[in-house]
Amino acid sequence: MEEKKTLLSIRDLKKVYTTREGELEALGSVSFDVGRQEFVSIVGPSGCGKTTLMRIIAGLMPQTSGELIVDKDYFDPQKDVGFVFQKALLLDWRRVIDNVLLPIEILKLDKKKYIPRAMELLELVGLKGFEKCYPNELSGGMQQRVSIARALIHDPKLILMDEPFGALDAITREKMNFELLRIWAESKKTVLFVTHEISEAVFLSDRIIVLSARPSKMVGNVEIELPRPRTLEQKLLPEFNRYALDIYNKLEVK
Amino acid sequence: MKAKTLKGSSKIGKILQNMGSILLFLVIWELAVHIFDIREAFLCTPSSAVYHLLVPQPDANYHWSVNILTTLKEYVISFAFVAAGGIALAILISWSKTIQGILMPAFIFICSLPMIAIAPILLIWIGYGLKTNVLVAFLVSFFPMVINTITGLGAQDKQLLDLVRYLGANRWQVLLKIQLPGALPYIFSGLKISSSLCIMGVIVGELIASDKGLGYVIVNAQLTMDTPPMFASLIMMSLLGWGMYLLVSLCERLLTPWNFVKERVDS
Repeated sequence: MEEKKTLLSIRDLKKVYTTREGELEALGSVSFDVGRQEFVSIVGPSGCGKTTLMRIIAGLMPQTSGELIVDKDYFDPQKDVGFVFQKALLLDWRRVIDNVLLPIEILKLDKKKYIPRAMELLELVGLKGFEKCYPNELSGGMQQRVSIARALIHDPKLILMDEPFGALDAITREKMNFELLRIWAESKKTVLFVTHEISEAVFLSDRIIVLSARPSKMVGNVEIELPRPRTLEQKLLPEFNRYALDIYNKLEVK
Repeated sequence: MKAKTLKGSSKIGKILQNMGSILLFLVIWELAVHIFDIREAFLCTPSSAVYHLLVPQPDANYHWSVNILTTLKEYVISFAFVAAGGIALAILISWSKTIQGILMPAFIFICSLPMIAIAPILLIWIGYGLKTNVLVAFLVSFFPMVINTITGLGAQDKQLLDLVRYLGANRWQVLLKIQLPGALPYIFSGLKISSSLCIMGVIVGELIASDKGLGYVIVNAQLTMDTPPMFASLIMMSLLGWGMYLLVSLCERLLTPWNFVKERVDS
């Protein structure tokens, strides 16, 4: 089975920042695997190194020690990663369509060939007809959806999402979660999703990695065995709440 | 975002308002000269200044076309150098932290000089004429252009740099895709400031030593206390500066259309 294959293995990954006050351990020895087409969430309190972990995986900073193991024939961390940041981070001076095509330009691919794909993606994220708009003409939720389309344009195998809906209101956020699951199901990507909303993580994920507060340790690796597609009704199920409670306990919330 | 409040017709009304204030000023000036019976050798009327500009005078030839063209030419050349050179130097300075550390203090030291004071020295080195005036204008208006552009190049959200770096963008791509377009609003405000400083620099050069140009007209007319051509020159200078400002604003409008977006959609 293709889906059981591992996309990314994280082994004893550690990050220590050297600050004026001395050494600060941002991420202490984390190990886990991410399977192909799996939806994995990472939850933990603020400052537990979630963002650091994502930045290391994206190649934006080096780790202090430990390894990221990938199958080089299948997965190139430079080209096969799409990153959705906490902020939409759209370029104000580019129209929506050109924002979506930015990774194509950076990777020096043929832009013309990707225009139909960009239109498809905009339709997928519900922004058909907005391709000629400038980002400041769009609402926050729409901007974040553009940034999701942008992360998908170069057909990456792994999507890193660092609290992508953190800046949105609760209602928009719920809607975005549904859209994300729909996009994920249609595009068959692997998603690594950072959040500190536990119910959001349970609702979205196949598996949840739980990190403790600094110095962070991995305190849980929880399989969520709720059937897909996920529905709002599932949020009322005892299983759903048991998963949430289990994670709260692992985080030692009293 | 602010909703669109101005109607189409009130935009024309606004232009009339602006013109009206200038006209009112000119009328008061005109009347004051007549009412208080001020001698022309002290202060001419604006109508007399405009009359001298438009109608050839029997007793003196001011060679307006030559003088205006000379000043315009010096202005355009120096401003082009300021725009191109300012952006280029700003890119060089902000290319890396190391270069910035080396060049920035020297640059600020040089620019702290009141550049106008250099004009007499340049006169010795280069002689009078177009080259000196262009150089003075350049030196006077270069500083704000560079500083504004440097500020603009560094003003991007640091995360925007991450956005392209995770895809392996090189330094040039970061500059061309992120920094430079993002700096455009800053570049245009730099150009606006420099446009008025630059015409001043040109005129200073002409005032100190030259044989043509609007500055020359003023110095020359001063000898005979012939005020109408002096004020006519001032009006022309102001029109040149204003024209350049409008040109810059037009380019800004064309090159940064996202800053002129009117309404925001919500869904």
